[in-house]
Amino acid sequence: MPDASTVWIVIPALNEARTIGDVVAPLVARGWRVVVVDDGSRDATAVAARAAGGVVLRHALNLGQGASLRTGFAFVQRQRDAEIVVTYDADGQHQPDSVAALLDVLGRSGGDVALGSRFLDGSAGAHVPAARRALLRLATVFTRVTTGLHVTDAHNGLRAFTVPAVARLRLTHNRMAHASEMLSEIARLGLRYAEAPVTIRYTDYSMAKGQRPLDAIVILWDIFTAGLR
Amino acid sequence: MLRIQVLLIALLAALALYLFRLRTTPRDRLLYVLMVGVGVPLVLFPDASNVVAHAVGIGRGADLVFYLFIIFSLFHFATSASRIRQLERQLTQLVQDRALAVPDLPGTQGASRA
Repeated sequence: MPDASTVWIVIPALNEARTIGDVVAPLVARGWRVVVVDDGSRDATAVAARAAGGVVLRHALNLGQGASLRTGFAFVQRQRDAEIVVTYDADGQHQPDSVAALLDVLGRSGGDVALGSRFLDGSAGAHVPAARRALLRLATVFTRVTTGLHVTDAHNGLRAFTVPAVARLRLTHNRMAHASEMLSEIARLGLRYAEAPVTIRYTDYSMAKGQRPLDAIVILWDIFTAGLR
Repeated sequence: MLRIQVLLIALLAALALYLFRLRTTPRDRLLYVLMVGVGVPLVLFPDASNVVAHAVGIGRGADLVFYLFIIFSLFHFATSASRIRQLERQLTQLVQDRALAVPDLPGTQGASRA
């Protein structure tokens, strides 16, 4: 496994002042570097993230999660000692142990990407609410058909990339469709990927902040109109 | 002259004047001159559109004008949408560049919110 200080965790955040400190601190405590991209928050997200030990990049306007991740990636690529980029959610549903699992799989597989999955053996897939599970299954089938990637979980915010791999990604979606876009980029570039078992903690807070089934339609629209200029 | 003709011509003239002051690119100005140049004669001589319509196989002049209106609207919609996308990309680039230029490092007060 690489030295912890060469691992950068990118966390897009919008109005997460309540939780962001508790999300950042345990990651920093393990020696990983954290960069929080404050996507135009109207609360004290930036202050709380910095106090917890994160670097904060601030968008003057709200651009969306996809754009926030790109800003974070660009920052990490400028860090001379950076070797691995991890994407992580700000709402508290991800666990530091899941980052360790990603790094472990990435290191052992020798690949370019490790993708988090809720539905592998060893992950606590049983805790995914039924309605969400059904929607995710649909998204996974869609991803398999459109990208040819054999993933078990299409919309998981936990991923680890090597820095050279992330530098090759061509990402354009500002909003939520970036999750599908990253997978199609992995397919296009022929990046070597492996899945790592992760556990998502569904709380009332994260469910309220998270995506609704209707968002799936918005994401599909984004994908289909992406080619237009 | 019918009252509706006076009203329509006045509105066309006002629109042309407004757009002429607003838009300065020659291409746009040409478009608006063309619009008024076609619009005013049509208001004055509505039967003229019938002649053109019959010549291309459409029953009524009003239908011809309506079809042209639809085509023009769709064209306008498409160009506006592409312009918005372009602006979005530029805005994104600007906001990202600014965020990267002044990172807040941990343990500092951070840059003041601009």
